[in-house]
Amino acid sequence: MMKLAKKMSEEYKNRGRYILYSFVFLILGFIFAFSYRTLGKDSGETAESPTFQQEEQYREELIAQKERNKELADEIQTKQEEIRDFEKSFSENEDNHTVLVEEAKDLRLLLGVIPASGPGVRITLKDGDYDPVEQNPNDYIVHESHVLRVVNELKISGAQGIAINGQRISENSYIKCTGPVITIDGRTLPAPFVIEAVGDSDVLSSALNLGGGVVDGLVHDNIVVTLEQLKEIKLPALRDEA
Amino acid sequence: MTMWLPLLGLLLGVSLGLLSDIQIPQIYSNYLSIAVLAALDTLFGGIRAHLQQIYDDKVFISGFFFNIALAAGLAFLGVHLGVDLYLAAVFAFGVRLFQNIAVIRRILLTKWSERSKVSDTKVQE
Repeated sequence: MMKLAKKMSEEYKNRGRYILYSFVFLILGFIFAFSYRTLGKDSGETAESPTFQQEEQYREELIAQKERNKELADEIQTKQEEIRDFEKSFSENEDNHTVLVEEAKDLRLLLGVIPASGPGVRITLKDGDYDPVEQNPNDYIVHESHVLRVVNELKISGAQGIAINGQRISENSYIKCTGPVITIDGRTLPAPFVIEAVGDSDVLSSALNLGGGVVDGLVHDNIVVTLEQLKEIKLPALRDEA
Repeated sequence: MTMWLPLLGLLLGVSLGLLSDIQIPQIYSNYLSIAVLAALDTLFGGIRAHLQQIYDDKVFISGFFFNIALAAGLAFLGVHLGVDLYLAAVFAFGVRLFQNIAVIRRILLTKWSERSKVSDTKVQE
């Protein structure tokens, strides 16, 4: 009787032990599987911080937007060319409208919406060489005011189209100083600045070369100025991407 | 029949863990890794104790849950104090894990060599 009871209790104890073990293993398995599912899976993605991801996303959006802007600018350009071609063919048919078409062409040149080409001048403004005597580098680098002076002089002397470093200038353009570079219509341009203008090249160059005029002032500010008269200059159309 | 209960429990736990739809925030992932380490440590400790014949149910079961809770609590405290206390837990458990496994390996090696010796002597006889 005693023996049986002992055996019973032993068996009962064993069963209890197995139940405890199964409980332990249940939790063990759960923890393993759960951590495998939550940590093992997305360790690659979450290596970067969320702020970085957000920044990346914004950057991509910006790039996409810029590309779209570029496409649209190209489209505008082709459309403008089409209109111009249409007007040309129109003027061939009806001589009366030739004057109007010419006026439209001039106005477009002024606005900068179509590419301009013709005789003109090219002015290059370069930073002066490093001069140990001059303490302040501001005294021998090109500032936006110099560029502005040249552009204004060109406009006054009848330039039909102006471009700086290949960036067409329109009536609404702005030229801004942003540290070591200048910003023109939201695009930053570094020195040297190549200012191209279509117009009567003799008039333009003599206007710039007037005694005590723009070129003299620039040379006085330690800027390396080169002025060329060219028979054929091609200016791109205004691209408003910014 | 009752012998298969632990295996059943393991399977059930794994399936529960894989199928459950709970998502824990990234901050608490440290606790989880610590819990994994603590569970592994206790498991190997139990096996070692069993091989050394000093195994006790109460010590094993209480150690299993207590270690997990303690490690998670320590990590929690560390996060709120700004100290990486979970590293301490990872270190401690890692060292102990390796020690336990080394002891198990040695015991098994001695057993195996003894057994082969016995069989050798038998062959000689």
